[in-house]
Amino acid sequence: MNTIFQLVISGLLIGSVYALMSIGLTLIFGVLRVVNFAHGEFLMIAMYGVWAFSRLLGLNPYFAAIAVVPAMFLFGALVYRIVIGAALAKPHLVVVFATMGLSIFLQNVALMAMTADLRDVPPIFARSISIGGIFIKGELLLGFIVTLLCTVILQWVIKHTFLGKAIRATVQDGEAAKLMGIAVPRIFLITFAAGSALVGLAACVMVPLFSVFPTVGLNFVLIAFVIVVLGGMGSIEGALLGGFCVGVVQSVSAYYVAPAFGQLFFFLLFLLVMIFRPNGLFGQKGAATLGMNE
Amino acid sequence: MTAMPAKPGLLQQISGLPQRGHMSWFEIILLAICVAWVAFGIAPTFQDVVVLSFLFAGLALAWNIAGGCAGLISFGHAAFFGIGAYTSTILFLNYNVTPWIGIFVGAVAAAVAGAVLSLICARLKGPFFILSSLAFAEVARIIALNWSSVTGGAEGLSIPPVPDLANMVLGSKTAYEALTLVYLLAAYAMTRWLEASRFGFYLFAIRDNDEAAAAAGINPLMVRSAAMALSAALTGMGGTLFAQYFLYLDPTYVISPELSFQFALLPAVGGLGTAVGPILGSFLITPLSELLRANLGNAAAGLHLVIYSAGLIVVMLYFPSGIAGALEKLKPRRPQR
Amino acid sequence: MRGIERIGIILASLLLAAASLPAKAQENIRIGVLLPLTGPLAKNGLENWEAMQIARDMINERGGINGRKVEYLQGDANTPNAAISETERLITKDGIKITTGSFASPIAIAVSQAAERHGVFHWETTGAAEVITRRGFKHTFQVGAPARKYGQAAVDFILNDLAKRLNKPVDALKIALLWENRAFGKSVGDGIRAYTQSKGIKLAYDEGYDQTATDMTPIVQKLKDVAPDIVIAISFPNDAILFQRKAKELDFNVAAFIGVSAGYSSPDLRDSIGDSVVGICVADFPPKVNAAVLTPETKKVAEEFYKRYEAKLKRPPAGHAAAGFSAVWALFTEVLPKAKTFEPDELREIALKLDLPEGSLVNGSGIKFTNFDWPDDPKDAGQNLRASIGVWQWTKAGNEEVFPPELATQPPIMVPLPDWSKR
Repeated sequence: MNTIFQLVISGLLIGSVYALMSIGLTLIFGVLRVVNFAHGEFLMIAMYGVWAFSRLLGLNPYFAAIAVVPAMFLFGALVYRIVIGAALAKPHLVVVFATMGLSIFLQNVALMAMTADLRDVPPIFARSISIGGIFIKGELLLGFIVTLLCTVILQWVIKHTFLGKAIRATVQDGEAAKLMGIAVPRIFLITFAAGSALVGLAACVMVPLFSVFPTVGLNFVLIAFVIVVLGGMGSIEGALLGGFCVGVVQSVSAYYVAPAFGQLFFFLLFLLVMIFRPNGLFGQKGAATLGMNE
Repeated sequence: MTAMPAKPGLLQQISGLPQRGHMSWFEIILLAICVAWVAFGIAPTFQDVVVLSFLFAGLALAWNIAGGCAGLISFGHAAFFGIGAYTSTILFLNYNVTPWIGIFVGAVAAAVAGAVLSLICARLKGPFFILSSLAFAEVARIIALNWSSVTGGAEGLSIPPVPDLANMVLGSKTAYEALTLVYLLAAYAMTRWLEASRFGFYLFAIRDNDEAAAAAGINPLMVRSAAMALSAALTGMGGTLFAQYFLYLDPTYVISPELSFQFALLPAVGGLGTAVGPILGSFLITPLSELLRANLGNAAAGLHLVIYSAGLIVVMLYFPSGIAGALEKLKPRRPQR
Repeated sequence: MRGIERIGIILASLLLAAASLPAKAQENIRIGVLLPLTGPLAKNGLENWEAMQIARDMINERGGINGRKVEYLQGDANTPNAAISETERLITKDGIKITTGSFASPIAIAVSQAAERHGVFHWETTGAAEVITRRGFKHTFQVGAPARKYGQAAVDFILNDLAKRLNKPVDALKIALLWENRAFGKSVGDGIRAYTQSKGIKLAYDEGYDQTATDMTPIVQKLKDVAPDIVIAISFPNDAILFQRKAKELDFNVAAFIGVSAGYSSPDLRDSIGDSVVGICVADFPPKVNAAVLTPETKKVAEEFYKRYEAKLKRPPAGHAAAGFSAVWALFTEVLPKAKTFEPDELREIALKLDLPEGSLVNGSGIKFTNFDWPDDPKDAGQNLRASIGVWQWTKAGNEEVFPPELATQPPIMVPLPDWSKR
C-alpha cells in the first residue's frame, strides 16, 4: 500500500517541477504558436546561472531567483529581438529551424565555456521528511509549493490585468486581437521574455535536484513538449495538470512495467491525447486543428 | 477568333532556372555533373562526403514529398529511416535475404508506418503535427533500443564488412557513389513525376488550402496518407542504403531527433516543395558540416558546432525560401500572354 | 684499378646509397585518435584525451619511438556515425594506418568497424562491449577489459570477500542488478547475469533503465520492496547521482553497494553527493594499484602520469583515463618499437606475440590477446585476457583498492554500509 502512495506522491511532486519548467513554454506556444526547440537550452543556461550565483555567493540557490529571473527575462527579450521576431514573419518552418539552430548553438557555447563537467550544489535539507512512511524530499516539496504559488499568481495576472486579457485574446485569435487594437508584436515580445523568466524560476527549483551540464536540456525538453500539448496550448492550469499526469504516469509505469521503457509510456499517452483530444485538457478549442496564429 | 500559340517544342519547355512543372537547364547540368563526377572518379579523397551528399539528397527529396509538396512537416522521419534500415538488415543477418530485395520490403514496412502516422495525426496542424511525429519516432527508437532479441538492442547490428555484390556490400567507394546517385535520381524523378501528375496536383492543393481542396472533392485524408506513405517508403530505402554503407546500426543515432531534423533541414535550406531544392540543400549542408567537424573538431570542443548552428540561424532568417527560392527571384519575370 | 680509386668508388656508392635512403628516421609516427569530444559523452571523452596526450608528451620527451616522434590526428567521434565518418576521413585523407580510442562502447564498435574495413590497426583502450572483438576482425585489439570482466570482478568480490564479512552464506544473499540500457550497461549486465547463473545464484532484481531518466523514484521504490542485501549498479555520472540522492531521500539501505565503472568511478561523484560517497565500492580499472604489484619501471611511469594529470586537471584521473593512458603507453613501449614497416599486418603479429604479466601496465593489467582460439567464440580475436578489473572503494580521503587481495591497498571499510541516517 505504501508503495503506491509513495509512487503517486513522488510523481506529483516531480510532476510539479516539470510543470514549472513547462509553463513558460505553454505561454509561448499559446501566444506565438511556435515550438521553441531551444527551450531545453534556455533551462540549461538558467541552471548554470543559478549554480554560478549560488557557488560564487555561497547562497542557497533559491535566492538566485532575484538575479536569474530578471536576467532570463532580458535574455528572452534579446533572443526574441535577434532570432524569433525576424523568423515569425517567414514561413513556419523557419522559426522551427532557427530555434533548433539556437539549441545546438547554446549547447556548444556552454560546452566551450563551462566544459562537460557536472555541476552541483550542496543539498539544502539534510534529510527528507517522513510522513507515515512516505518520504518527501524537502527540495521537491519546496518546488511543489513554488509551482502552485506561481500558477496562482499567473492565473490572477491573466484574469485580472489588461496584459493578461491581451494575452488571452492573442491565444484565442491573433487576427482578431490585432483588430481589437492589441499590439500583438509587443505581446509576443513580452510573452517570450516572460516565458524565459519563468524558465529561470524553474531553474532555481531544479538545480538542487539535478546536476547541470551542457546537454542537460535534452533530458527535459521532450517532457516539456508533452506536458504543453497534454495540458493544452496556452493553458497554465493545463501545464500544471499535464505535469502531474506525466510525473505520475512515469512513476507508476516505470514501477509496474519496466524502467527501461521510461519515456515510452508518456509518448504513447501523448499520441493517445493527440488522437482523441488534440486540444489537450484545457486547450483552446480548435488550436490543434485550425493552425497558425497569423 | 484568337490564334492559339503553337505548343512550344520540347527544348523550349526547358527553362533556364528551376521552376515547378518544367525541367530547367540548371537541373540538367547539375545532374549531369553528378553523373560525370562518379563516372570519372573525381576527387577520390572526398568520396565519403560525396556518398553522404547523394544519400542525404535522396532522403531530403523523400521528406520533401510529405513536407514540401503536401505540407506535412514531419520531424519523425527517422522512424521510417530506421524501419527501412532495420528491416533489410534483420532479413539479411537472420534469414539471408539479400538487401537488394530487403530494401523493398523495408520500403513497404516504412510505407505502412507512414500511413499509420498520417492516420493518427489526421486532423493535426502545424506544431502539433510536428510534435506528434517526434513522439512517434521516439516510440520507435525506444522499441528498437529495448527489443534486443530482434534489433540487437543498444549494441546495434553489424554487417560483416566483406565485399559481396549479391548482398549489397560494395567494394569501392565509387560503387557506393553510383548506388546513392541512382537513389537520388530515382527520388528526383519521383518528385518531378508528382509535379506533373494529378496526384501531385492534389498534394499541392491540400498543402495550400485543404478546406478548399476538400470542397473541390479531394479527399485530404487519402491524399495525405498516400503522400506520407510514399515519402516514408523512399526514406526507408535510404535507410537500407545507409545500413549497407556504414555496416553498423545503432538505434540511438539511426532513429534520433537529430536525424529527423536533418531530413527536414536540407529541403528547407534548399527550397521546400521544389524538385531541385532538397538536392541543393544537401549539396550545401552535408559537405559543410563534415568539413567543419574535420577541420575544427580538434580546435576547441564544440567550436565547429557553434559555427555550424550560427550559420544555420543566419541562413534560415535571410533565405527563408531556401536556395531555390533565391534562384527564383533571379529569374526575370515572364510577360503575360 | 688502383686501390685509391677503388676506395673512392666504394665510398661514393655508399654515400649515394645513404642519400637515397628514404628519410624515414625523422618522420613522425601518426596515430588517429577517435574520442567523443562533444555531445553527452564529452566529459569522459575529454578526460581520456588528456590522458592520451600525456602519454604522447612523455614518450616524445624520451626521444620518441626509435627516434621518431608520435603525432596524434584527432577525430571528434560524438556519435557512432560521426565516428565512422571521422575514422574514414583519417584513413582515406590522412593515410592513417593506426587508430586508437574510443572511451565508449558504441563509439568503439563503430570505429573498429570502419578501421577493419580498410585493414587499419585499431588499438581500443576502454570500450568494453563484448561484440567489439567477436566479429572476426583481424586488426582490432581491445586492451581494456571486456564487459563481462567488470561484472565478474563485482560478483567475485561478493562471493569471495563480502559474503564472509557479512557473515551470510552465499545462497542467502539477495543481490540486485541495475543496468543502464545502452551498450555498456547492457553488455555488463548480460555478463553479470551469465556469471551469476553459472555460479548457481539467482538475482533478486534484474532491470535495465533508461539512462536519461529524470526521476529515479520508481526504481528505488522497487528496490526497497525487494530489499536486497547488495546492489550492483551500472550507471553513468548523471544517473548515478540521481540514484544516490533518491536512495537517500527514500531511505533505501543496503549492506553493500557496488557500482560498475562509468558514473560511480567518476571523481566528480564526490563533488556532487559529498560524503555520501564514502563506502561505495566500484568495480573498474584500478585508479591506483598496490604499488607492489607494478614493475619498478612501470611504477615510475605511473607516478609521472598521476603527477601530470593532477597538475593539468586538478584532480586524480578516473579509472578509464588511467586505462586510456596505460593502453597507449603499452602501444608506445611494447608494440611500436618492434615495428619496422608499421603496416597493420606487422603490428598484428607483434601484438599477438605479446605476453606481459599482470603489473606490466600502469593500471596493473597485463597483455595477452586471443586469436580466434577463444573456446566460447571462434570469431573472438584481439581480446586482452589480462586486463585487470578490481574493486576499489571511496574513502574519506580518496579511494583505495580493496579487491582482489593482490592488488588491494587496504581491506574494505564500512561493511555493512551504515543506514543513511548515519552517513
